[in-house]
Amino acid sequence: MFFKKAKPLSTDSVAHALSHVSAPGTDKGLISLGYIKNLQVSGTKVRFDLAVPNINERDRDALVEACRAAVKKVEGVEFIHISPVAATEAPKPSPAPGGQGRISLPNIRNLIAVASGKGGVGKSTAAISLSLALVAEGKRVGLLDADIYGPSLPTLIGINQRPPQTESGRILPIIKEGLKLMSMGFMIPEGQPVVWRGPMVHGALTQFLTQVDWGELDYLIVDMPPGTGDAQLTMSQTAPLSGAIIVTTPQELSLIDARKGLKMFESVQVPILGIIENMSGFVAPDGQVHNIFKTGGGKKLAEESGTPLLGVIPLDPLIAEGGDSGKSVLLTHPDATVSKIYRQMAKDLIKKASPQGAFKPVSLEWQ
Amino acid sequence: MHPIELSQKAANTLGITWDDGHQSSYQVRGLRLQCKCAACVDEWTRKVLIKEEQIPLDIRPKKIEPVGRYALSIAWSDGHSSGIYTFDHLRSLCECEACRKT
Repeated sequence: MFFKKAKPLSTDSVAHALSHVSAPGTDKGLISLGYIKNLQVSGTKVRFDLAVPNINERDRDALVEACRAAVKKVEGVEFIHISPVAATEAPKPSPAPGGQGRISLPNIRNLIAVASGKGGVGKSTAAISLSLALVAEGKRVGLLDADIYGPSLPTLIGINQRPPQTESGRILPIIKEGLKLMSMGFMIPEGQPVVWRGPMVHGALTQFLTQVDWGELDYLIVDMPPGTGDAQLTMSQTAPLSGAIIVTTPQELSLIDARKGLKMFESVQVPILGIIENMSGFVAPDGQVHNIFKTGGGKKLAEESGTPLLGVIPLDPLIAEGGDSGKSVLLTHPDATVSKIYRQMAKDLIKKASPQGAFKPVSLEWQ
Repeated sequence: MHPIELSQKAANTLGITWDDGHQSSYQVRGLRLQCKCAACVDEWTRKVLIKEEQIPLDIRPKKIEPVGRYALSIAWSDGHSSGIYTFDHLRSLCECEACRKT
């Protein structure tokens, strides 16, 4: 060794050694994931930054040691300096207002928000049922759960797994029952709360729209969180929405909020495709209809806003059963009344929804 | 109602063609003064916070971009870019003879 002149150390050989070190919880190499930054080799010295997103201290220290061990084996290395740095998510979404963060989704023909002012009216169940009904009509459909704080999709569809990521960092949607699915609930452990401020919600939503490999879709249904806040603003300001569907229950309390949701979309000129009246009457085993939450609220809202009533869905224990077991009533009981109503709704929607082409955004660079 | 085309009619004049065929033109400095963002107009009191003399006479838009289906955002040469101009607001500001009369 002493007499042999050491081969000059190359960046390639160091990178090659590091490519065999995999990131915690994956079988992907640090190099291919882009976690090694500013790799510099001079003489016998090796320096680089280690930027791993969402890593705890213990894993990070173990990873630094693994890198050190791998690089040490490379002939000619004497000095190794590894700096763990904060990982910056790439590409950074720009802060909310102003068209700067505008998203274009050329492969998605119809981007439809399912919304309501109020929580607990069955938005998520309506969104998933409608999505499944669209699949039954032979459409290519994606379903994005935009409720960052209270995602319901994992439970409703019976999945809690992290979506795979491609080498380039794009996220592959989970595919089940012919639906392409994405939810914040897939990205975090079950039962763990998301404690974020508004701008983070904006960032997460834009990433779900742009960094998920949705492929070619006829419909991307977006299950909106309740309210008229950050998520709604992001969707109506940066995403090319084709329209919105408002879900309400029949009683006035829910209508008050639904009306606000509807007005919000109107104020940003997103067409209202229609209204779904959910939890409208319960059909008892003896055939008697009990209007637990009254009836006709959806019709009232449709009439006063001049929008179509897409469907009136009765209360049916099969719906709740399907939701809790992760198997929608549309799949377990395709002949049930509610399943038929949703399939009719899908047929009507297909006739109605126009491709995004109807509205063309304009821009100008000043000379 | 929404614009179907934006054009630069002169160094300081923006043209908008609307989907109903109407043609509007705007002096760009006038648009800057009409900015309704929270930095220019107080959110609660609606008091206008910018003063006309603070806005450069030769102010120009740098870039005009769409906001959803309802508005445009303008990035200005003075660095201001937080304003959102809704289509309705822009149409109401139209400087053409016919619109000024009504």
